[in-house]
Amino acid sequence: MQSKTRKPLVAWPKQRRLIGKDVQRVDGPEKSTGTAKYSFDINRPGMLHAQILRCPYAHAKIKKIDTSAAEKIPGFAALHMIASEGAELDYAGAEVLAIAADTEEHVQDALRAVRVEYEVLPFLVKEEDALKNPSLKTVSGRDPSNVSKPTLADEGDVDAAYKEADAVVEGEYGVATVCHHCLEPHGLVAEWPKEGSVKLRVWCSVQATRNVAAGLAKEFDLGPTEVECLTDYMGGGYGSKFGPDVQGIACSHLAKKTGRPVKLMLTREAEITTAGNRPSAYGRVKMAGKKDGTITAYEVDCYGTPGATGRATVNFAMLPYVYKDAIPNYRLKHTVILTNCGAARAMRAPGHPQNCLLTDTCLDDLAAKLGLDPMEVRLKNLPKNVPSAVRDYPLSWNAVRETIYRDEIAIAAKLAKWKEKWHPPGEGGKGPIKYGIGMALHTWGGGAAGGDPPLNECTVIISRDGSVTAQSSTQDLGTGQRTVTAMVVAEILGLEPHEVFADIGNSSYGQSTGSGGSTTCPSQAPSALRAAIGARDQLFAKIAKKLGAKPENLAIEPGKVVDTATGKSVPWKKACAMLGMDEVRVKLGWSSVYANEVDDEGKLVTPGVSNLQVGGVQIAEVRVDTETGQVFCDHIVAVQDVGMVVNKLLCESQVAGGVIMAVNYALLEDRIMDRHTGRQVNPDMEFYKLAGIQDIPRITVHMHDMPERGVIGIGEPPTISTAAAISNAIFNAIGVRVSHAPFTPDKVLAALAQKGGKA
Amino acid sequence: MKNFTYYQPTSVPQALGLLSDKWGATEILAGGTDLLDLTKEYVAQPDRVVSITGIPNLIGIQSEGDAVRIGATTKLAAIADHSELRQLFPALTTAAGMVGGPQIRNMGTIGGNLCQRNRCWYFRDEEVLCLLKGGDKCYALDGENIYHAIFTQGHKCVMVNPSTLAPPLIALGATVELVGPQAQRTVELAKFFVAPASAAEHETVLQPNEILTRVTIPQKGLKSASYEIRQKQSYDWPLVQAAVAFQLNGGKASNVSIVLGHVGPTPVIATAAAQALEGKAINEDTAAAAGEAATQGAKPLSQTGYKVRLAQVAVKRAILTAAGGQKYWEA
Repeated sequence: MQSKTRKPLVAWPKQRRLIGKDVQRVDGPEKSTGTAKYSFDINRPGMLHAQILRCPYAHAKIKKIDTSAAEKIPGFAALHMIASEGAELDYAGAEVLAIAADTEEHVQDALRAVRVEYEVLPFLVKEEDALKNPSLKTVSGRDPSNVSKPTLADEGDVDAAYKEADAVVEGEYGVATVCHHCLEPHGLVAEWPKEGSVKLRVWCSVQATRNVAAGLAKEFDLGPTEVECLTDYMGGGYGSKFGPDVQGIACSHLAKKTGRPVKLMLTREAEITTAGNRPSAYGRVKMAGKKDGTITAYEVDCYGTPGATGRATVNFAMLPYVYKDAIPNYRLKHTVILTNCGAARAMRAPGHPQNCLLTDTCLDDLAAKLGLDPMEVRLKNLPKNVPSAVRDYPLSWNAVRETIYRDEIAIAAKLAKWKEKWHPPGEGGKGPIKYGIGMALHTWGGGAAGGDPPLNECTVIISRDGSVTAQSSTQDLGTGQRTVTAMVVAEILGLEPHEVFADIGNSSYGQSTGSGGSTTCPSQAPSALRAAIGARDQLFAKIAKKLGAKPENLAIEPGKVVDTATGKSVPWKKACAMLGMDEVRVKLGWSSVYANEVDDEGKLVTPGVSNLQVGGVQIAEVRVDTETGQVFCDHIVAVQDVGMVVNKLLCESQVAGGVIMAVNYALLEDRIMDRHTGRQVNPDMEFYKLAGIQDIPRITVHMHDMPERGVIGIGEPPTISTAAAISNAIFNAIGVRVSHAPFTPDKVLAALAQKGGKA
Repeated sequence: MKNFTYYQPTSVPQALGLLSDKWGATEILAGGTDLLDLTKEYVAQPDRVVSITGIPNLIGIQSEGDAVRIGATTKLAAIADHSELRQLFPALTTAAGMVGGPQIRNMGTIGGNLCQRNRCWYFRDEEVLCLLKGGDKCYALDGENIYHAIFTQGHKCVMVNPSTLAPPLIALGATVELVGPQAQRTVELAKFFVAPASAAEHETVLQPNEILTRVTIPQKGLKSASYEIRQKQSYDWPLVQAAVAFQLNGGKASNVSIVLGHVGPTPVIATAAAQALEGKAINEDTAAAAGEAATQGAKPLSQTGYKVRLAQVAVKRAILTAAGGQKYWEA
């Protein structure tokens, strides 16, 4: 868009006292002492409990529902029908109805007293079974069969490139479907207050308070301010908690019917089977290259399942991952397979970890065939900095991407001692324990979320007692957004982070977008910055006269307001007391529209406040016990750029968290579906395996700080390349590729046996 | 879970009076780490739950003459941390120290560990009517069986016995006291476990109206070890486990006993493996040979082939650990 003004809207302060430093979470004490109340912890006076009756079959039609016995169970309060007689249900776990009762136990009793007659229908829960029967249709909806028509893409001449190549490799790669497994399951407490302007109030474990409020307002035909969603704390979402969901609507109906607050949090089994997953991706990948390591052709033929509905598994447009712009010839094919399983939802960098596992692994196999160090092959094939971007948008990703990767690879290699430790694949030691090292790269967006007027706002309130409140409807899904908001405001007002009350997670506090796509910090940190600067200036205007100063001469120093003309200063509280009966209140926002606004010459009006797109390099070190097939991940080096680091400690925590999630992805997690019963056999924390403390590697995080670029989100990128790096490290250790994650003992032993067979 | 009546008797005769002669209606509660799961999953739906943790003489570890007696409700953590047991029976204390996590070990008991129900995911899913719940088939046979048995011959249900204390205790020659309404019997632990094939049978010879009161381990000066191969080092079931015990005289092994865990519906006593090691000097080659012998007769399922190799390696490493040699597999 064309600018109305050429003056930048805002800029980060040049001297930064807090920003970029290690700042502890302002709510750390609450979280670690248990005083922080999550949705699951909310108990309202007279509250009822509710749960959902679910279809036990992978595919069935409801013939008849009889709830008469359930309604006679002691404590039964109300019932809400979700599916009706005649409905076709597509997976084991699909919702039938919800019941509220006085205790959790009575809810169970009542649910078990419901009689549902089903007509059981044919089902397919495994990708390979659907591929064997490509014309079968076992899901409702318009698709003619479970196996979709493939998506295709083509560039250059792949076949010619194969002929001219010095080496061509082809292999099988892939990864299982995994579940989000939020520690706090999806759910809420819903209450219809008897008085006040809010008609429906929910305490919901969600990563988008505004979406929940809007969704419920729509369901109950209420005005946008008549529903309030509160999310003070939440125990993980990872992309699966963006709306009220079936349980949110059912719970609110039950609360309305009974006139009492109702709590409905999903059971662990329901959380795993119904509340989202990251789709599988399997495929054949072929690559060709020259002796010097130049990749000349890439071919991917892959498939995956998003469950009973959905279209996406991999991120098709970004295959081959990271190196796409550097490779002249590629051919892509992707087949979506519908199965009678719970539907996929966005999960921390949707599509990217699968992309990375499919193609940044084959690269190492090509390097091996060419006799090259895979780090050198990566360096050879990095997407180049784009000259026009360097000229016109020097802070943009396209202007700096090659530079970032080069710098980060160098830093990571040094931290992991790559040159010392890397060896040709299979030369991982003499004894049965083999050591290996592997690398992978990733990229992610993470810019501000859109809108004009901005969809992300922050209100800063300064009271005459010197207290400062920063209000926003945004939510802290564990990333530390509450701390970020507090510290940005504190930076501008000369305070300490704990002196700012970051009052977030309330949908009635203005506009905000869901915490998806790593957009929260790049949207909310600039909003807080603008609102804090606005509040500071309003304070100056309101008290200047009493100070005998000109507002433009006033400035903030830690703990005080200074008149730069005289050098005299007043302590913060004393300055605020001059507000008298007045207060300062400023609401301002930020969005991608503001970040991307250009002037008549096409230059950015407000560069360097927030930005878009990061790189990232990870190196894994593993030990493989070749007698048992066990893989032990000993060390992960994660080098991550994120534009301007707002809080170094929180950034490093985000990276470590992403790495831990991906170690699980690489070594443990697998949603195992049974083809005979159509049910998941491991909907629990016992055989759906997640790392414990002894399974977590040493994690070395290096934040590649580029403050000039402005803020970019960090949540998603660090979980993308870990699993591919581990796969490459295993290959480096044992000299044979273990095709499919999770890399469990059975698969490692099978790969070793195959290698032995060949030799 | 279904409502039940809870009893907390203070003596064994009192407790016996509350039991039933059929499985299902009455359940014995000790640490609850298994029974609570079973009731929450509606796999167990007792009308009556009899807690035995209020019976004072069922808890404790005592040396009596040439044996050590461990009361049934003695916690796993107490066994794992017991200095005398650690010296006498390292196989047992190692295994006890690796069960679940600290919370499980602080609640779980030795009696419960031996009597617990199996962890087969079909058995544990209320919606699946498997052989052990009155159904007519074992779903693991041609279903998802990656954690199931490799010794399947003659078994209709191919779950694995989940006890990790059983293999070391069998290897050490332990016995258990079973007290019933009429009599008390002493059963060799080697003969305690059975492979169930219907809802009327459990994983042991314990009768529904009997209580396992204590475990007795003879002191024979055996070297012993338990070795588990697991996917996770924190909180996981072993994929396979091997427990070994033998006398070591002049570097040679005698009175060898080798027992495998998590490979069959009962702990598997590997007689051929023991014979292979008997009288031999212990080194990597003899240990490996015993490992090979241990899996004689294995008939793995569609997804458990890898466990054959794991069992061989576990036996080899358990033998070398018991002998106190260098652990070549440790970094």
